[in-house]
Amino acid sequence: MSPTTWGWLVLLFPLIGTVVIGVGFKRWGRAAGVIGTAAIALSFVCAVGALVTLLGKPEHGRELTSSLWNYASAGGVDAKLQILVDPVSVFMILVVTGVSTLIHLYSISYMKSDKGFARYFAYLNFFVLSMLVLVLGGNFVMLIVGWAFVGAASYLLISFWYRRETATKAGIKAFVINVLGDVGLVLGTFFIFRHTHTVSFLGSFAAAPHVFHHDSTDLVAGCLLFLVGAFAKSAQLPLHTWLPDAMEGPTPVSSLIHAATMVTAGVYLIVRLHPLFQLAPTAGEVGAIVGCATLLVAGTIALVVTDLKRVIAYSTMSQIGYMIMGASAGAYSAALFHLMTHAFFKALLFMAAGSIIGAMAGDQSLDRMSGFRKALPFTFACFIIGGLALSGLPPFSGWLSKDDIIAYLNNRGGVYEVLGILGYVGALLTGLYTFRMIFRAFFGEPSPEAKELEHGHLAHAHTPRNPMTGEEEDNDVGFPGPEHVIAERELPMKVAMSLLAALAVVGGFLQIPGVDHVIQNFLSPALANAPLASAAHEPSNGNAWIGLIIGAVIGLVGISIAFRIYIVRPGTAKRLQERLPALHNFLVHKWYFDELIDVVIVQPSLMLGRFALGVLDRGVINDGLTGGVTGLVRSGGAAVRRAQTGFLRYYAAALIFGLSLVLLYFLISST
Amino acid sequence: MSLSILLCLPVLLALVATQLPERYVGRGAALLSLIPLGIAIDYLARFNPGNSGLQFVTDKLWISSLGIHYKLAISGLNIALVVLTAILFTISLAWSSQRQIDRPKLYYFHFGLAQSAVLGAFMAQDLVLFVGFFDLMLIPFYFLVGSWGTGDRVRATVKMVIYTAVGSFLMLAAAIATGVLASGQHSTALTFTFTALQHLGLSRTDQDWMFLAFAAAFLVKMPLAPFHGWLADAYKSMPIPAVAVFSGVVSKVAAYGFIAIVLPIFPQASHHYQTLMLVIALFSILWATAMAFTTKDARLVIAYSSVAQMGFIMLGIFSLKSTGDQGALLQMLNHGIVTAASFFIVAAVAARADGSENLDDMGGIAFRAPVLASFFLIVTFANLAMPGSSNFIGEFMILLGVFSTQMWIAIVATLGVVGAAVYALRLFITAMHNRVGGRVKSFEVRRIEVIAIVPLLALILVLGFYPQFGLNKSQDSVKAAIAPAAFGGCQNDFPGRTVLSCVAYDPSKTPTSK
Repeated sequence: MSPTTWGWLVLLFPLIGTVVIGVGFKRWGRAAGVIGTAAIALSFVCAVGALVTLLGKPEHGRELTSSLWNYASAGGVDAKLQILVDPVSVFMILVVTGVSTLIHLYSISYMKSDKGFARYFAYLNFFVLSMLVLVLGGNFVMLIVGWAFVGAASYLLISFWYRRETATKAGIKAFVINVLGDVGLVLGTFFIFRHTHTVSFLGSFAAAPHVFHHDSTDLVAGCLLFLVGAFAKSAQLPLHTWLPDAMEGPTPVSSLIHAATMVTAGVYLIVRLHPLFQLAPTAGEVGAIVGCATLLVAGTIALVVTDLKRVIAYSTMSQIGYMIMGASAGAYSAALFHLMTHAFFKALLFMAAGSIIGAMAGDQSLDRMSGFRKALPFTFACFIIGGLALSGLPPFSGWLSKDDIIAYLNNRGGVYEVLGILGYVGALLTGLYTFRMIFRAFFGEPSPEAKELEHGHLAHAHTPRNPMTGEEEDNDVGFPGPEHVIAERELPMKVAMSLLAALAVVGGFLQIPGVDHVIQNFLSPALANAPLASAAHEPSNGNAWIGLIIGAVIGLVGISIAFRIYIVRPGTAKRLQERLPALHNFLVHKWYFDELIDVVIVQPSLMLGRFALGVLDRGVINDGLTGGVTGLVRSGGAAVRRAQTGFLRYYAAALIFGLSLVLLYFLISST
Repeated sequence: MSLSILLCLPVLLALVATQLPERYVGRGAALLSLIPLGIAIDYLARFNPGNSGLQFVTDKLWISSLGIHYKLAISGLNIALVVLTAILFTISLAWSSQRQIDRPKLYYFHFGLAQSAVLGAFMAQDLVLFVGFFDLMLIPFYFLVGSWGTGDRVRATVKMVIYTAVGSFLMLAAAIATGVLASGQHSTALTFTFTALQHLGLSRTDQDWMFLAFAAAFLVKMPLAPFHGWLADAYKSMPIPAVAVFSGVVSKVAAYGFIAIVLPIFPQASHHYQTLMLVIALFSILWATAMAFTTKDARLVIAYSSVAQMGFIMLGIFSLKSTGDQGALLQMLNHGIVTAASFFIVAAVAARADGSENLDDMGGIAFRAPVLASFFLIVTFANLAMPGSSNFIGEFMILLGVFSTQMWIAIVATLGVVGAAVYALRLFITAMHNRVGGRVKSFEVRRIEVIAIVPLLALILVLGFYPQFGLNKSQDSVKAAIAPAAFGGCQNDFPGRTVLSCVAYDPSKTPTSK
């Protein structure tokens, strides 16, 4: 079979899964989990099939498109239902389906007592389908379709527990910001289409060098609008505020969407559109600067957040910042490499977090967790592996991939070198906040829940409460299930986490400077025409190794600071907060981004709406215009109405009146 | 088979249905309405998309002394709308037939009359005939609101009739004037058929006046802000099946009028007023969006969202690009389906909130009605034109068309896209999610609701996978319809067309050509 056939099959299985689970949601019961997992696993198998067949093709023939039918083809638009199978998309489908399979497996246990079990798996399958459409789409329209589907699926999963108001609010926020991103993508497409007259990727890329000058206005505008889409989806400043709130969804969802797949779409977008970004270096610089700013801002916020899942969420933002920075600068293979390793260790961290939250009976507050080291040995081990990979310590995967990006930036020079150095600052913050989280949750005096668990009792909340508002909740449909689970007691969770832990350790070995370059070599046919991806821009092995050593040292320093603050002298954090209240407040309020958006966008639009409704529509249109017109006609027709003739006759009379006006016009105009 | 049969059948069949015993009138009317639907689909199947002209023409000189023809035809511009009309009427009748209706015989007669009038307006190829059908449409709806409406229905009817009547007079006057002036200026016999008038160009000044008169009638009927004063009361008072067809197809007659009559017959004026019309459309989008996310009434959210959608359609039409106009035609079809489905869903939701359509009384309905929630969700996504729905392709092409003429208008219009996400999702969430509302008695979707919602849902899904279906038939007709206006009426690409004022017409001096 050809790679494109495999590509269509990759899409087919999640589609079948969604439909089958969705239609029979009442019948399947617990079987829905198995069906959903099997669908994604089959999709992964097909992705491997696509990989094998693609590698069987000669290097110059590894960009294949296939279309089913005309999707929208009229008035110059030439959108087909089309996929593009090339090394970039195959790389993405492998990561997406691989990690998603494990998360589906984990969810079978994690969600087992939830009343919305089948609905959950239908959504989850739909999400994977959307993400696959996004990465396989062969033209801008397909990309936008996948892009929006991902936003919709994310909305559905964030507000999965839809009777919690915090969840529905988070859902609508995520959705609207994502729609803003869709609009960016649509407008960006218009700017490109205006010159290339095609929506297909390969057609646009081929035409771009001929129709666009270097850094021409329309191209830069288009690329910047694409970046708006990327920032919205990948939670980059200032469109990031939805991601921390998205932690309202079930933990495996955070793991799947808000770490391993959805948020990486922005990185994929830049890599996919690299032939355009290459011609618009200004847009690339903007992307890199925003990525760098995000990684620092998110890193600092993660230092003070007390919700376990949100710490990891901010860490995701920060890590995606590295990828966006790298992809914008031209480090395509490094960015995708980090995307992959990050998917492994971040999915792992979220799954481990889910296990602690299970042990805490749904409570996510770091303030209440401590000393879980003995109670949850397996979870602890996973957390340590994930934490070390995230902090970039050798030989874990995050070390090799993150420093690959920084080495490229430093090698490229100019403004990028500054960004690379700031990347090291981010690495210091990463080590610090990661181990702050680990030390607080696993070390110190065991919390009551941890103590009970050491005696074999898993805590169960007597009255389930919303961790955000403290509001009491029942356990019916639309709320979290009554029972909680920990990885130690559930085989599917254990299997999923062990596999991810193994990948988080060895995943980096795919690309070691001077040893092997599996990812770079695999991607190179797709990047053949990209000057920025040529060997001239890649750092030498020596420089790469120097970077790796610096990165490892900085990560270690970050961890030692955390060790000093939280283990050696446990009161230090409190004292720091008291000494620097302004800074602490600033960080606790997340740099006031939510407040800023509220004041600048939300309140004015609401005011406009109220003004339109209250003053203008009621006052001007209804009373003024309508009242005026109707009043005028009414007084004229009062006599007729009084005679009980009704409107029809009045209407007929008015028609005659109109006709006579017409006749009058001709009489006047003919003279 | 003549188009006259399709035209007359709905009202005749309604008369047949009224002869049944009172209990069976509704079901009889609904079943009989399948016949015109079948005929419409048959026309769709036999339609030749390669022909940009009129097909299945019925042409008889009706009033010879005034040159008025009884001329009906189908073209790429109206084929989808004719089928849509048949579908929505059948579905609305099916919905009604499952409910207790007061004085059913009259009710179903008005529905039949309305369907005939709408079909007539879509198929008419003579200005006077068109105006006749356009005005005839008002009569059954006047009764439907006045006799079967709810709330302050007297106020609603008064407003609706007066608004539309004012527009109609202007249009009638303009229609007659167009025929008279055209024949006068070209010294031919008096004629009102579209094809003839396209070849008899009016002078610039006359075109401007005629354009404005027609535009007034159509803008009120669509409606676009600030001509929408009658909308809220009328939509609020109408029975649900009536509002579904009104918003679904009656408002499309006006949009169709722009593309089928105004652009081809007054091309220079259309070109001249392009920017004005685009600005009105843009204003409408923003205004209606702001209203939709402020109002507390579920039905009005849908009502204002249709004003916004009509704004998009208007943008597409006056982009004067084939991309934009194709998008507008597709969007008319999409919007007709989605808005009707939305109104039926609002009715289903209100039935679970103790009859209230106020958002404050709703909440948490999804909890016991997951299937209804899924239906609502799909319709919501289509309504906000999420990519993957056919509505997205419509908006995409509309915006692309506008983008290539007036870039900034397209960019500002995207605010309406983001706004749509806010109000559509807000409606869904407040009705279906969050805590269960105080007056809510949630129960699963019932047969009497499924009968209307599911067919529309199926259409939404099919079109979502294959929006090309809505584009295939119209390509050549659209090109032909907009060509004269796109070139400011100066390009003489109509054989036999005499252009009167092109010499005096200098494109560089018009505000739109910069």
